[in-house]
Amino acid sequence: MLIEFFAGLLLVYAGMVALCLGLKRHFKSVWQREPSVTWCRTFRVCGWLLLALGFAACIASWGWAQGPVGWMGQVSLAGLALVLLMPYRPRLATLLPLLGLPFLLSALLLA
Amino acid sequence: MKPSSLTQSMSWLHTWGGLIFGWLLFAIFLTGTLAVFDKEIDVWMQPEAPVSHVDQAQAAEHAISYLQRHHGAESAWDISLPTARSPVLSVSTGERRRNAPRQYLDPNTGEPIDIRETAGGRFFFLFHFTLHMPRNIGIWLVGLAAVGMLVALFSSLIIHKKFFKEFFTFRPNKGQRSWLDAHNATGVLVLPFHLMITYTGLVIFSLIYMPAAVDALFDGDREAAFGPGQPAKTEQQAAQGARNGRSQNEGRGEGSGELVALTPLQPLLLQAEQALGEVRSVSISHPGRSDARIEMRPVLGNRIELSKGLSMTFAGVSGEVLKMPEQSRWAQLTQRVLSGLHFAQFGGYPMRWLYFICGMASCAMIATGLVLFTVKRRRRPEAEGPIAAQLYHLAERLNISVIAGLSIACAAYLWGNRLLPAELSQRGAWEVRVFFACWALSLLHACCRERTQAWREQLVCAAALCVCMPLLSLATMTRPWAEPIRAYLELSTVACGALFAFAAWRIGQKKPAPAPRRQSRNVSQELLNAD
Repeated sequence: MLIEFFAGLLLVYAGMVALCLGLKRHFKSVWQREPSVTWCRTFRVCGWLLLALGFAACIASWGWAQGPVGWMGQVSLAGLALVLLMPYRPRLATLLPLLGLPFLLSALLLA
Repeated sequence: MKPSSLTQSMSWLHTWGGLIFGWLLFAIFLTGTLAVFDKEIDVWMQPEAPVSHVDQAQAAEHAISYLQRHHGAESAWDISLPTARSPVLSVSTGERRRNAPRQYLDPNTGEPIDIRETAGGRFFFLFHFTLHMPRNIGIWLVGLAAVGMLVALFSSLIIHKKFFKEFFTFRPNKGQRSWLDAHNATGVLVLPFHLMITYTGLVIFSLIYMPAAVDALFDGDREAAFGPGQPAKTEQQAAQGARNGRSQNEGRGEGSGELVALTPLQPLLLQAEQALGEVRSVSISHPGRSDARIEMRPVLGNRIELSKGLSMTFAGVSGEVLKMPEQSRWAQLTQRVLSGLHFAQFGGYPMRWLYFICGMASCAMIATGLVLFTVKRRRRPEAEGPIAAQLYHLAERLNISVIAGLSIACAAYLWGNRLLPAELSQRGAWEVRVFFACWALSLLHACCRERTQAWREQLVCAAALCVCMPLLSLATMTRPWAEPIRAYLELSTVACGALFAFAAWRIGQKKPAPAPRRQSRNVSQELLNAD
């Protein structure tokens, strides 16, 4: 259950990062250049997909009754963490999911 | 007055409604957030309780043998079992009552142990909706504040024009702009939680706030409205139990006092666990008689539905199931699921932490809103007349003593648990007095000191109390971290202390000279152009 929980957290955080980068202002603050329309659209689609995957992880973790409640909480807190980290360490905030990935994979392999 | 737009009037409503209820709401949200971990705080505040190395069945057997030895003649026993969240085993005897004196037992040996009297984490839970006020005054005030919160939330949706455009925006180190950004971010991102927790909080006491429907349709008979309501039923059972108990004692007096052995509890516990989830308590009526009954109740957290009053009954001698847990009716189920969403007992520790951090975010949203009110008016406090200036001055002081002072009071409450002498009578009440005394002191301090000084000193005080919690335990206990729950709680307080220290440090920093209004507008204009 814990692995699904952290997987969900990682996925919804990544989703929020993608949605954030789908906005011009934030894309610029991270990569110092204007995004093309295609980039913005890709990021937004990816963001929603990742949020959906996070939802699946929450369902796997808590079941259909409690999962959506947990997902809502995870999305809210992931968003809040991202917003607080973004102005101080924009690159770190965006790449955090990639840093989390090896931990999750090793946990999955050990389980 | 000139006619104002909807946005302006909503902005006025949000500002003043938020200010008036903000202080109360902060206290409600902070204690409610702490109450998420009420059982863990209980365990921390009862440091004599040993670690439980045995399973529930063994602990129950120990309790039964203790009760047989010391209370064989009682008509009813109640055993509260160690659970995942609390290693404490305790028993009480006599007709089941809320405040019956409890005897604590060592779950590993069944020997009686002394545990200090404490108000426990339950105090935060009770304060959260009664405000420590008599009768229903507190419940009504909290209900009013909750409605105020809903008004503030909905008005904020109207006045926040860039809801999606500034969804991820936080610009630190920009004075008032940063406070507004922080208020918006904590408000917008955690909005589902704010709405859910406020609304479900009202639903819990819906029958107190709005009794009309049940009064009119069912003559105020809750049982008729919601199916077999719990309180009425337990009273009936208790009355019946008392009658039976009496007749039983008479029967014994006539010499037929043959004791019938109880069935072993382990298989019953397994059965109950399958039907209900983790079991919290076992009550046995008429132990030693052939018509003994065993009733098992689950912990609250096995499903979203608040399962207060859910139970499963077995025959005491044969062990057969007499009554399976009832299914709630639809109306009751709705109410119980909504209450359960508020009580946050489901989903295990990950869910508990989500609720805790979301609750902290709510506190932060309210606190930033309160601070924003004063920051906005700091530049020209005299502009709106002397009365307004007095009010703003008062708001500053109240902000300090509610936001920083309440945090101090909560930490001091935990310190009181360790430092008050263990043999003090009414010890729990003294702990509560420590809480309120510290809170009152913080208000006094906030009134005496200069604003920035007061903020910094109180935050430093809160930080010190939180960070030093492990040292306190080390100084007052022999093996403070034998039970891991206590160690985790202290780690969490250290983390909170670090946050307070960070806040105090930021206040201590020399601020960039406050930019005059025109210039700051230029800056925001530049930002807009940059976009």
